[in-house]
Amino acid sequence: MFTMIPKKRELKMRNAILRGIYEDNLRIIGKHSNALSDKAPSFLKKMFLFFFIVLLAVLGHWNYQNLSLFSEFPEKQITASLITQEPSSLGTELQQLPAEKSVSPSDYKAFLSGPDIPLSRVFGLEVKTIMIDPGHGGSDSGTAGKMGTKEKDIALDIAKRLRERLKKYGNYNVLMTHEQDSTLPLNKRVELARLGRADLFISLHLNYLPSKPINIIETYYFGPSSDAKTLKLAERENIGSQYGLSDFKEIIMKIGDKLKLQESKELASSIQKVLFLNSKKHNGNVYNSGIKRAPFVVLLGVDVPAVLVEVSCLSNREEEIELNTESHRENIARYLQAGILDYLNKGEKSYEAKRHTTAR
Amino acid sequence: MKQKDTQQQDSILFAGIDLGTSRSSISASNLTREWIESYVGWPKDFISLQVVGKPVLFGSEALKNRLSLDLCRPLEHGVIKEGIEKSEDAVKEIIKHLIELAKPSPEQKIHAVVGVPADTLKVNKLAIRKAASEFAHSLMVVSEPFAVAYGMNLLNNALVIDIGAGTTDFCIMHGTIPSEEDQKTILTAGDYIDEQLYSYLTEKYPNSRFNKNMVRQFKEKYSFVRDVSGEIHVEIPVDGKPVIHDIKNEIKRACESILPAIIETTTEMIARFDPEFQIKIKNNIVLAGGCSLIRGIGEYLQNALKEYGPCNVTHVENPLFAGSDGALKLALDMPVKYWEPL
Repeated sequence: MFTMIPKKRELKMRNAILRGIYEDNLRIIGKHSNALSDKAPSFLKKMFLFFFIVLLAVLGHWNYQNLSLFSEFPEKQITASLITQEPSSLGTELQQLPAEKSVSPSDYKAFLSGPDIPLSRVFGLEVKTIMIDPGHGGSDSGTAGKMGTKEKDIALDIAKRLRERLKKYGNYNVLMTHEQDSTLPLNKRVELARLGRADLFISLHLNYLPSKPINIIETYYFGPSSDAKTLKLAERENIGSQYGLSDFKEIIMKIGDKLKLQESKELASSIQKVLFLNSKKHNGNVYNSGIKRAPFVVLLGVDVPAVLVEVSCLSNREEEIELNTESHRENIARYLQAGILDYLNKGEKSYEAKRHTTAR
Repeated sequence: MKQKDTQQQDSILFAGIDLGTSRSSISASNLTREWIESYVGWPKDFISLQVVGKPVLFGSEALKNRLSLDLCRPLEHGVIKEGIEKSEDAVKEIIKHLIELAKPSPEQKIHAVVGVPADTLKVNKLAIRKAASEFAHSLMVVSEPFAVAYGMNLLNNALVIDIGAGTTDFCIMHGTIPSEEDQKTILTAGDYIDEQLYSYLTEKYPNSRFNKNMVRQFKEKYSFVRDVSGEIHVEIPVDGKPVIHDIKNEIKRACESILPAIIETTTEMIARFDPEFQIKIKNNIVLAGGCSLIRGIGEYLQNALKEYGPCNVTHVENPLFAGSDGALKLALDMPVKYWEPL
């Protein structure tokens, strides 16, 4: 009798474990337990089914009589769960933007140095072509994680996903500097952006911080930097640019192009904000390194607004594991898309209204 | 009733599969037990296809013909790289090949339990299910150390440390299905020993030519920790002539290099439980995986962990099949109603 009790307990434990495995595997495929629901008495099931049908009939009738009731609900957007504004500044940021009356046509200097009004809007310039540049490729793998995950593979995959997303969104011609795993010097990338008449240039990279086991997100636009770490990163990313000093002189002349700088900064800021806030939802240990200026050749050479996004960090093991899942890469592409669209549609009343509705 | 069970046994082949970072095995209800090295290779071009004569090669055969193949070790670092490399295809091929090795009869349905490294279970569950869906009628995925524990009836108050090639997986059993917190993976395992040994040997004998494959063979043949009697000598060509090399110290250093991380993780995991359970778990530590065969490793860990109180470390009898045998036991014990068609 006494030996029976432990055996019974063991059997119970074993059954619980087997059931746990079954439920765990059902969760993987997003199914509910059929076997377990069989335990519910059949009369209860029948009653539930009866009430469900009655409810459907009532709702159907109501819907038929009040079609306008349903049309009031906004169409569900894919960005429904995206955070596009920091909670504290939600709704206030736009109000804080000064109205256009602050720019006086007679004050040309003030007009050019006014930090808040994008010149592209003033001149009614539109973005038609977006060029996505997956960092590295071919013999240049970029950085690599401890498990062997290569920067070039992740950047290319996210770039393809971003392209599909932007294409689906609508009117943009979305190009990529390369679609295969091929070696492409930086000057060739710049040339491709020019040939493709790109209006926007987005270069995707992954960070590597050997001394710190953290994950950071940061976005760069072209400009001088005195930060040693940033200069080191630029040096690494600029390898193989094949530009001479004379080329630099000519290009540096164009740095004065306020429009490019202003727009690049806005684009960087928009991408960084959405990417960081949403990445933080999944991983509380991600750090916001913000937007920064850095002398990346690829950003310098392109005449149009250009940013370089370090979308994640391969030196962080947990993040490297995550980057090997399609869902995580798809999410990063999704956040990049939202950041780009926020930048492109800033001030568009219909977009802002939709965004506020879906964020609620 | 018994007759019905027999009929079911005949119409269904139950299989336990252990997808390891280095070796994969299958144990089936028709008493078949097979294993392969977890390598998959596809001919690089049509000439290679003519040379190797097969569209896909596995294990040692793939390794032997590696120059003609695109070689893939899909779970090398404990996870599958989804959609980037050929890892997903390789997993699919390994599962297909293992099931073929179990020789099911054409009319038999396959009900399989697949054990995978703990990190794979965390991030690639769906990918594993997808990979196996063509070849099995119903499938469950579990973590490898859990399958070992179940097979050995270690359902409560036990810690399984599965020291494989790419990863060392830890799994604490406390009477329920282990949660993610009960399982941990570190990357210091067999491959790490190979890397260390390679660097020690090339440092000591700069004129000798080693390769990773040779180093792995030395490890598998001579590995030990603490001390063993006698010398360890191997013959390695120097300028084309075979020369005897003493590698005993290097083997010991390389093998012991994984132990600090294992000890630290073990104490860290056990410390999360209340003291009463800590004592029980410490007295029930089981080593599994290929590296549990390193001579003296159990005693070393037991001595090191004694600092934190008495403990008992044992080994699984057959590390190669402990995972697949455990997965088969799970498959056989699983009630019929839990087997959902894929």
